[in-house]
Amino acid sequence: MAVRHDRKVSILDIMGPVMVGPSSSHTAGTARLGRVAREILDEDPVEVRFFLHPPLAATYRGHGSDFALVGGAIGLNVDDPRIPEAIRIAEQMGVEIEFAEEDLGDVHPNTVRIEIKGKTKEAEIVGSSIGGGVIEVFRINGFQTRFKGDSPSLLLFYRDRPGMISEVTRIIAEERINIASLYCSRKQRGKDAFMEIDVDSPLAREGLERIRAVPDVGEAKYLDRIT
Amino acid sequence: MIESFKQLEEAGRDRDLADVFLEVDEQEHGIPAEQILAALRKRRGVMRDCIERGKGGGLSMGKLVGNEARKLNEAFEAGRTFLDPLTIKAEIYALSVMGENSRMGVIVAAPTAGAGGVVPGMLMALEEERKIDPEKTVRALAVAGGIGSIVALSANISGAAGGCQNEVGVAAAMGAASVAYMMGGTTRESIHAAAIALKNTLGLVCDPVGGLVEVPCVKRNAIFAVHGLTAAQLALAGVESVIPMDEVVEAMVRIGRALPRGLRETAEGGLATTATGCAIGTRLKDEANQRRAERAAERERVAQERKGSES
Repeated sequence: MAVRHDRKVSILDIMGPVMVGPSSSHTAGTARLGRVAREILDEDPVEVRFFLHPPLAATYRGHGSDFALVGGAIGLNVDDPRIPEAIRIAEQMGVEIEFAEEDLGDVHPNTVRIEIKGKTKEAEIVGSSIGGGVIEVFRINGFQTRFKGDSPSLLLFYRDRPGMISEVTRIIAEERINIASLYCSRKQRGKDAFMEIDVDSPLAREGLERIRAVPDVGEAKYLDRIT
Repeated sequence: MIESFKQLEEAGRDRDLADVFLEVDEQEHGIPAEQILAALRKRRGVMRDCIERGKGGGLSMGKLVGNEARKLNEAFEAGRTFLDPLTIKAEIYALSVMGENSRMGVIVAAPTAGAGGVVPGMLMALEEERKIDPEKTVRALAVAGGIGSIVALSANISGAAGGCQNEVGVAAAMGAASVAYMMGGTTRESIHAAAIALKNTLGLVCDPVGGLVEVPCVKRNAIFAVHGLTAAQLALAGVESVIPMDEVVEAMVRIGRALPRGLRETAEGGLATTATGCAIGTRLKDEANQRRAERAAERERVAQERKGSES
């Protein structure tokens, strides 16, 4: 899977992260994938199911990936010393956890699909831990994307229509925020659509509220850098 | 934008290599140099703490390793070692970090956790033995990160993608370049140190026993910390890699692709499938199943209790 990265990683990505051992791809990266699912759900989880691609299913236990995935899903950072206790903590919180194997196709060996449910909402992501703690989430709630969690991001679920991108990006520009990358996908023309906007600096609450007020925006989530 | 080691050599001619990388990050990621250095200062501290804790030893999660640093440190302090102090300290420190890592302690991935002992082993030993200003070590960490970031443009840095060459090999290359930098070498010498270190790890497979980052990972970090020091020594004496660093990285990617799946972190080949490796793998699986059964029984007990108290 020696693919060229679409952008250069930073010094701190390589000389880091500071993390709980033993494996950056199996522990830190998987904890970050769990965190992404938790942040997208945006409430306390009550049920989390992890579907591991076969190579990951063969190796995850020995690397503590189960602790890490669960730790991330309950909101722990990769350097949180409670990660080794994460499964127990989750059980105390009453979170139901399940691990299963699933062939996720022609993807990186360390790929996982996560279904997460809270009291009122649910979410699904598919992502890979590609090494050194770096992740690539390529599906969110059924939409294609390319989320890396290495910058603040805005995730929009909306109804596909002309002018949507320009209305949203104008608000971001008015908030004096620079867009690093933008990715859109949709299930069907004029139907459910998704936009991921990675930005260079944090978006204030008012900016997010303005975007939520744009007609046809179903849901707008703002995610900080996932650490 | 620097996308190759050839470009790096141009950009870094007669310049401080850490400054070159810090400038690139400031341009591309908008992180000011002082902020990166501050973060690296903290990470050097995490490495230092990790080395101190690791010397004390203790069994790993899989109970296969954990006391290597303690044993070598005891032999060193008792005068029972025969190598020079720089080499021995590099080994002790690399083993310390990996021991901590195997116990789910807090470490710095450099560039990964499984290869996380190599860079701190080399740099912290050199800093101590040559009485180098810790601030220079912090800048050397920027060099190590910068070298890794160029490799990462064409290679996925994980054993699952290309074997151990992609992890410990890249770590040794990063460490060799930063040691050359700490010893006052030129940018060209740093790049050749990296190339010499990396090309002599090509083909190294990832075959962890029982799938754990324990055997052969822990001792391998000590061996490759010394390997990186040797590569830096050659480069500083003017020895150059005939194959340029960019091409060594290309070779690494091609070799990684050619490696069978069983030798890329799956624990389905190599040392993992030796008689001893298999026996350990079976024991670990049994223990894991037992722990799971115990957890399930505990959950059941708690559920019953809850039901009992409700009725």
